Amino acid sequence: MPEIELNIDKVAKLSYLKLTDAERKQLAEQLPSIVSYVSKLQEVDTSKIESKAYLTDLNNVFREDVAKMDSAEREAIINGFPKQKGGALEVPGVFE
Amino acid sequence: MKTVLGIRDAIRTGESAESIVRACLSKIHAEDEKIGAFLETFDDEAIAEAKEIDAMRERGEDLPRLAGVPIAIKDNMCYKGHIASCSSKMLAEHKAAYDATVIKRLKEAGAIIVGRTNMDEFAMGSSTETSAFKKTKNPWHTGKVPGGSSGGSSAAVAAGFVPAALGSDTGGSIRQPASLCGVTGMKPSYGRVSRYGLIAMASSLDQIGPITHTAQDASLILEIIQGVDEKDATSRDPKDADLPEFVSASFKGLRIGVPKEYFIDGMDKEVRKSIEAAIDLMKTQGAEVKEVSLPLTEYSMPAYYIIQPAEVSSNLARFDGMRYGTRAPGSNLIESYLQARADGFGAEVKRRIMLGNFILSAGYYDAFYKKALAVKTAIHGEFENVFKEVDVLVTPTSPSVAWDLDAKFNDPITMYLSDIFTTTANIAGLPAISVPCGFAEGLPIGLQFIGAFDNDARVLNAAAAYQAITDFHENGPGVE
Repeated sequence: MPEIELNIDKVAKLSYLKLTDAERKQLAEQLPSIVSYVSKLQEVDTSKIESKAYLTDLNNVFREDVAKMDSAEREAIINGFPKQKGGALEVPGVFE
Repeated sequence: MKTVLGIRDAIRTGESAESIVRACLSKIHAEDEKIGAFLETFDDEAIAEAKEIDAMRERGEDLPRLAGVPIAIKDNMCYKGHIASCSSKMLAEHKAAYDATVIKRLKEAGAIIVGRTNMDEFAMGSSTETSAFKKTKNPWHTGKVPGGSSGGSSAAVAAGFVPAALGSDTGGSIRQPASLCGVTGMKPSYGRVSRYGLIAMASSLDQIGPITHTAQDASLILEIIQGVDEKDATSRDPKDADLPEFVSASFKGLRIGVPKEYFIDGMDKEVRKSIEAAIDLMKTQGAEVKEVSLPLTEYSMPAYYIIQPAEVSSNLARFDGMRYGTRAPGSNLIESYLQARADGFGAEVKRRIMLGNFILSAGYYDAFYKKALAVKTAIHGEFENVFKEVDVLVTPTSPSVAWDLDAKFNDPITMYLSDIFTTTANIAGLPAISVPCGFAEGLPIGLQFIGAFDNDARVLNAAAAYQAITDFHENGPGVE
């Protein structure tokens, strides 16, 4: 198991979270205690066990790849956008 | 005590649905100020729908199965045209563009959705205190928490505002508040109830379930909302789909397992006594009780606190102020994301997103997340083995009764420990129900039945059998 190095700023970047100094300080204190609590899992021998996220035996639950449109729902979604232009979501430029 | 069954039958035999819904709303308006269960009520529509039910009956039409029954929904379920905010500033103005499948099914059954209830923000918490809007009080003692994250729904039923509410349970969020509020709350087997329209927290753990006074009512609601949904690829039709409406229940010959790892030091003595008394009572009714062991129990909490934040961090990545919620000003797109998330999320949400992203980041993913999934599979397997010897397990739901508002709030580990009895059922995907079994210091104690995967009917039967010989579920601060 790798040595746990918790780089708060790196994780904040991955999380798209801009932290205040107070938040950074609080997280720097609290996260390591939770992380070490979960390191306990290394005690369990799972060498013969498969990692499965979902316990059900369902697999490949697909439907036909055909667009089904509920235009009322679509309109409700578009009207819920904070900003829209011609029925499309308007966002700030990536590079401005 | 007003139950779903009682109200449903009264309406069928001529009582006015409109008068019932009006009375329900009046009570909420008169008394919810001191409880804070509801974020919003939908008065006009609820009354209009009730009038329509009365009109249907006058026309001699067959009434659907839950016609006229007032129900509350947790604030994380999409009800078309209504705000669904997960008690977060991030979604404070978000109006659902569609109905969650459970909402659709309840409405088709004639139920009347009277309002949305308060919760911990994005379902993260065990006391409903992390809600961005307000704290909900326990109807039994307004200085105490109702539990969480479905604290609003549980308080609404306990206070007698509605006979039933929907909650969601990822690590105990239906069962624990039900226990602290002295009501019945059930988490179905994973996949039994569609999650389409439930604002996702941890997709491999979340389930929607009923909060009611009785196991009979829980069964009735579950029967309406359960079943495969083409919009939820993890949903399926359960093998025991026919839940008896009047759950005919008995302990005779029922093999009950008492897992020794759930009776820990530091557990409230009154809670332990109450559970032990309940088990003795079941024995006198013919149950065969034996001690069992689930050695992996201590690993379910760490597994949960890896899997849940990891999945949460992924599910909450979509909240960036672009499509939903309030757009934040920023000099460019990234700045806008950062500002929206800084403003929109509370401290606990940020903590879990950080933890989750850390867990899933390069170098740690295998050691933490994949390992946790393997432990999850091992825990499920351990339960399966135990269920070869017993039919249901009995445990406490919460190691303590409701605690003071504003207490324990800054210590994350203590808060996590108060979930310890409930997360195993989520990790293993099993059906579990909490029922009231006593009081300590005037506050409700909850007892939990856990069943094998897809044995939801058996769990409901055990709960109903217990309620047939006790009356704790008939008490209530708001019960008439």
